Amino acid sequence: MLTITYALLFYLATLVLIVGVAHRIWQFARTPAPLKIPTAPAPVTQGGVVLRLLREAVLFESLFKANKWIWLFGWVFHFGLLLVLLRHLRYFTDPVWSWVVLIQPFGVYAGFAMVVGLAGLWARRLLVPRIRYISGPSDHLMLALLLAIGLSGLGMKYVFPTDIVALKAFVLGLMYFDWQPLPPDPILLLHLGLVALLMIVFPISKLVHAPGLFFSPGRNQVDNPRERRHLAPWAAKLETGGRS
Amino acid sequence: MVELAIRNARTAEAPADPLEVPALTPGAMADSKPYPASAEHQEKIGFPGELVEDWKERAIDKLGDLVGKSRGLRVYLDSCVKCGACTDKCHYFLGSGDPKNMPVARQDLLRSVYRRYFTFSGKYFPKLVGATDLTEEVLDDWYSYFHQCSQCRRCSVYCPYGIDTAEISMAAREILDTVGRGQKYCNEIIGKVQTIGNNLGLQEKALRATLEDLEEDLEDETGLEIKLPLNVKGADILLVTPSADFFAEPHVDGLLGYAKVFHQMGESWTISSYASEAANFGMFIGSYENMRELALRIRKAAEELGVKRIIFGECGHAWRAAYAFLNTLAGPFDFLDQHYPIPQHICEYTYDLIEKDALTFDKSKNDHIRLTYHDSCNVARGSRMGDTPGGQFEIPRAILRAVCNHYFDMPADTIKEATLCCGGGGGLLTDELMDIRRKGAQPRMRALQQVADEHGVTHLAAICAICKTQFAKLLPEHGFEMDSIVSIHQLVSNAIVLDGQISDDDDDDEDDEDDEDDEDDEDGDA
Amino acid sequence: MAYQYNGTTVEHDEEGYITDISLWSRELADIIAKDENIEMTDEHWEVVNFLRDYYEEYQIAPAVRVLIKSIKKSMGKDKGNNKYMYHLFPYGPAKQACKIAGLPKPTGCV
Ligand code: HEM
Ligand code: SF4
Ligand code: SF4
Repeated sequence: MLTITYALLFYLATLVLIVGVAHRIWQFARTPAPLKIPTAPAPVTQGGVVLRLLREAVLFESLFKANKWIWLFGWVFHFGLLLVLLRHLRYFTDPVWSWVVLIQPFGVYAGFAMVVGLAGLWARRLLVPRIRYISGPSDHLMLALLLAIGLSGLGMKYVFPTDIVALKAFVLGLMYFDWQPLPPDPILLLHLGLVALLMIVFPISKLVHAPGLFFSPGRNQVDNPRERRHLAPWAAKLETGGRS
Repeated sequence: MVELAIRNARTAEAPADPLEVPALTPGAMADSKPYPASAEHQEKIGFPGELVEDWKERAIDKLGDLVGKSRGLRVYLDSCVKCGACTDKCHYFLGSGDPKNMPVARQDLLRSVYRRYFTFSGKYFPKLVGATDLTEEVLDDWYSYFHQCSQCRRCSVYCPYGIDTAEISMAAREILDTVGRGQKYCNEIIGKVQTIGNNLGLQEKALRATLEDLEEDLEDETGLEIKLPLNVKGADILLVTPSADFFAEPHVDGLLGYAKVFHQMGESWTISSYASEAANFGMFIGSYENMRELALRIRKAAEELGVKRIIFGECGHAWRAAYAFLNTLAGPFDFLDQHYPIPQHICEYTYDLIEKDALTFDKSKNDHIRLTYHDSCNVARGSRMGDTPGGQFEIPRAILRAVCNHYFDMPADTIKEATLCCGGGGGLLTDELMDIRRKGAQPRMRALQQVADEHGVTHLAAICAICKTQFAKLLPEHGFEMDSIVSIHQLVSNAIVLDGQISDDDDDDEDDEDDEDDEDDEDGDA
Repeated sequence: MAYQYNGTTVEHDEEGYITDISLWSRELADIIAKDENIEMTDEHWEVVNFLRDYYEEYQIAPAVRVLIKSIKKSMGKDKGNNKYMYHLFPYGPAKQACKIAGLPKPTGCV
């Protein structure tokens, strides 16, 4: 029963995540940008734009300019998260890919880094009046959710070890539609439940910032309005109305 | 020097950090709001004359419409993570402490309504995600706080996703216009441009008389017949400049500077009375249609006069609208000479000449000036000059250094891409908004005070009609002379050596050259 | 929003600029000036009169520079300058003097 519930939960979560994010991306992509509005100074070539986006996604360049504390906590959290996610690939691959094996040791620290980063961000949210002012319940809950995922994960690693072999069998079983029993370990169930929840809220919450960055005209437009005429389809229609 | 000593004595205390963050004072600016546009002004530019009965439905429809038409708006409304990076970046917040002037909070005024009507979470869990119904109070808040944003884009530089509050303000103002709650200052002016050709309402006859008067002044000053041509068919260059350049102080001196440079180069150029305005207030109210109407006037003037090039005078938002939008709104400009940028900025033009050594300057003519430069917000973050990113910072400075011996930058976190708005941009340059204008100018004034204390800076140059007016108004409140705000081309005008010019003080010029203050120059070049 | 005097009512906008310039009178100018804390002297009148003449011809107030030049001609060099104009009309010759002269407010980036 437990296994079935979780199996279905994860199918649902995956579906929501993929369809939801794809829908968001499709919406972003389909909406035209009527004017050239890159935040200047902006790159004048497509290559320059790719680099700019890379710097934003990898280094959080703008955030660095803005505020060193948010940058530090935010960056530590995200790269902790990234490593942790990559580390989790060992549950999804058999045999485990060799580079995934390689990063395993870092992945452990990454778990702590993620939690520290989240704690720092939350502390700022609670302590800095400006940020407290702009925070709504969902902003706190999102941090709580991620923190709970991180802490329950670390808990399984260091305090209440769970049956990893059985878990991996469960995960692979999900992937190949050959369901295997899920270890009925409360902390694991909590961890997985929260992850499924995160996957479900991802596309309908502020977490769409991840694709959002790449569609932000302030960041992804080439600065060449004089050289190339930029015209949105709906704006082109105004022109057929004839010039006054 | 005397002035310097005085200023130093006056500010013996440690100078305030220009970007000092104030304590939150909720509601501090809640009463600030512009005069409403009259029915006549509204209707003239295609909006209902007063608040329509079904304003709520119309506002929500319009929001949906705009989100569907603008990727920026959609991404910006969806993507904010409330990280807080932008919270201390707006000069209006820094000056007022009103939390709704924090960029993200300003965005949230619109975002919370967007969430309520257009997102799953906002429809079903409004409390959780801070979604709010659109009520009359919300509409009032929009009217108040979206007219406390100068659309300067400073916040967008620091946002990890480049969320641009300017875009959100523009959208909000368009929604307000659509339901009949327009702002008098912008909407009256847009109407004037559409019927008369410029923000001032200066008719051809008056414009011609003014230009003739200024030609007289030029002749008195130089002994040369320097022209300010109007509506000359077949001229090579169409100069489009803010109408303030024909009217206000210190703007006029900039215009005289352009004229001198054109004269020295023997250019054939003209001003058009039909397109006698560079600014495009359609941008301030986020109205693509109005912006397009105004831009098309420039195209039409260029076509009818048969010019080969278009050059824009010193104007900040205008340069953004010209550089970034003109080609989109009124292009393609295939009938112009493709060897030149279309459009070109007057600073690009003058800088090219300086690079080619085509102009001679007597820098000592500006020796009574110790100068700094205010990067106008929309030039800095919404446009470019020259071929390389950042040319909009370097080209004006290069001109200033070519014409003035004593140049000093303000603190690095207040210039170039981090520049502060003057406080009067984006449709706020109207007297009833004086309080927020004054507060918004504070960070800039503090930065200026710093270079005044450290380097004895006396003058501030800018290339935006709004900045010039705003500073002329506010500098006296900060212990500076009203005329310490100058155009770049005013300094060019002071220093340029024209062929055949009568000269009043030929002999003492020579000594001045050696008089330069070496020690300061080192600082100045840093 | 209106000025009341001698039993006449003259409408003005939010900022005190009269909306129908044909209703202007010297008496009204005195009243507007009082609202602006200005005591009208001959110099003030010189400016106001010039503004009105100019407006009659060009349908707009003159550029500040044009105004100053004319004042220089009529009142001499020490009065024909921007500083003196602000001395007369602390809120700016263009805006405040126009208001008293019954002209519409100059609009735009000025
Ligand atoms: C391309 C991928 C991503 C980029 C470039 C990115 C970037 C950022 C940046 C710059 C911030 C603001 C600074 C901060 O508060 O940390 C942020 C915030 C945040 N990100 Fe991401 N992110 C990405 C993916 C993700 C993913 C996959 C998640 C979670 C599953 C996530 C969760 C969060 C959360 C919860 C916050 C808000 C932190 C707070 O409340 O202060 N991000 N992200
Ligand atoms: S665009 Fe400028 S004025 Fe508007 S919120 Fe951002 S920083 Fe403030
Ligand atoms: S910096 Fe950007 S993401 Fe962060 S709170 Fe401001 S607008 Fe939102």
